[in-house]
Amino acid sequence: MRKTIIQGSITVLLFFGTWFALTQIDWVKVFNVQKVTDKTEQKLGELFWEVFKKTENESTKAPVVNAIDSIVTHICTSNAIDRKKVKVHVLNKDEVNAFALPNGHLIVYTGLIVNSDSQEELTGVICHELAHIELNHVMKKLVKEIGLSVLISMTTGNGGPEVIKQAAKMLSSSAFDRGLEKEADIKAVDYLIQAKVNPELFAEFLYKLSDKENDALKYLTWVSTHPDSKERAEYIIEYSKGKTADYKPILSKEKWENLKAELGTE
Amino acid sequence: MIHSKQFSYEPGEHEAETASSSYLMSLIAIVVGLPLPIINLIATLVFYMGNRKSTYFVRWHCTQALLSQLSMLFINSFGFWWTVSILFTDETITSKYIAYIMAAFIFNVTEFIATIYTAIQTRKGIHVEWWFYGPLTNIVCKS
Repeated sequence: MRKTIIQGSITVLLFFGTWFALTQIDWVKVFNVQKVTDKTEQKLGELFWEVFKKTENESTKAPVVNAIDSIVTHICTSNAIDRKKVKVHVLNKDEVNAFALPNGHLIVYTGLIVNSDSQEELTGVICHELAHIELNHVMKKLVKEIGLSVLISMTTGNGGPEVIKQAAKMLSSSAFDRGLEKEADIKAVDYLIQAKVNPELFAEFLYKLSDKENDALKYLTWVSTHPDSKERAEYIIEYSKGKTADYKPILSKEKWENLKAELGTE
Repeated sequence: MIHSKQFSYEPGEHEAETASSSYLMSLIAIVVGLPLPIINLIATLVFYMGNRKSTYFVRWHCTQALLSQLSMLFINSFGFWWTVSILFTDETITSKYIAYIMAAFIFNVTEFIATIYTAIQTRKGIHVEWWFYGPLTNIVCKS
């Protein structure tokens, strides 16, 4: 009996020992797993962006594109984010929405710009989406919602256009997990403070848009898909307390007004 | 790891054939049910149930085959569900996972080779006792 127990224990130890010994090697690096994952993300980003490019109208107006580009560049340089990684697209659509696609594609609808009373509000939403990109939330959500196997089949051309369309729609019109949203909000506050943008105005934007009496509610995709805006506004204010900095607008007053005027609001 | 021992009696031709089949059963099941590790366990279990009342030599080898499958079930099931969670949830491929699959693979191959060897030997009527499973079978299976 004793011999059996000893032999059994040695067998179990041998297995775990083998496992432990093998974990000492960085297999992810050896097998280039990261490279494969990056390639999948890159391909998915292209596929999803194609869907929006075909169905929506991309804004090419210089004041609009330049202004959004200035905001994104400023946030990236202040927070050591690789600017080249982020691909910004402004789409002409009334919906108050902004979202991230795989491989750093950031989509901003003109409806969001129009409905932002100040550039800080718009910057806050952009920071939130940039946080989703930087924290790799987009791929996490995709894998969770549709699974790695389907994602890989999409990149190899076996996904079918309808599946790709559905997945792209899901990314533009549904929120992440509560935990991920909060993580992105907190990260956004950090980004804003580093970029010397007042985060309280971002919180106020959430308060404002969560107001049910707002006429444009039907267009408020960004808020309706991100639940508990009031709660989010509260923890944003709470988190940004005591983190005050010397706030400065990113865009000049003239540039911001030009942007709004270009979109026909002023 | 594997010892050829003298059995308490000389098994007959038919006994050797049936005992050898119990190992072959798990080999065939591995090929058929590789993605689902429970299949080989079920196969050996069915074979074991069918030969419960057979001679001691046959029962002994059916038991050893079954017990060896049981431990592989734990290793393979864990690897199987880990893989499923990577494919369908937000779990990612880590070095730990790859190392586990490798360790599981090494153990599976070892078991596979041992099973083939034992199937051949028992077919010749030679009694083979495995490391750990042999003494364990001696406890479980009484004449």
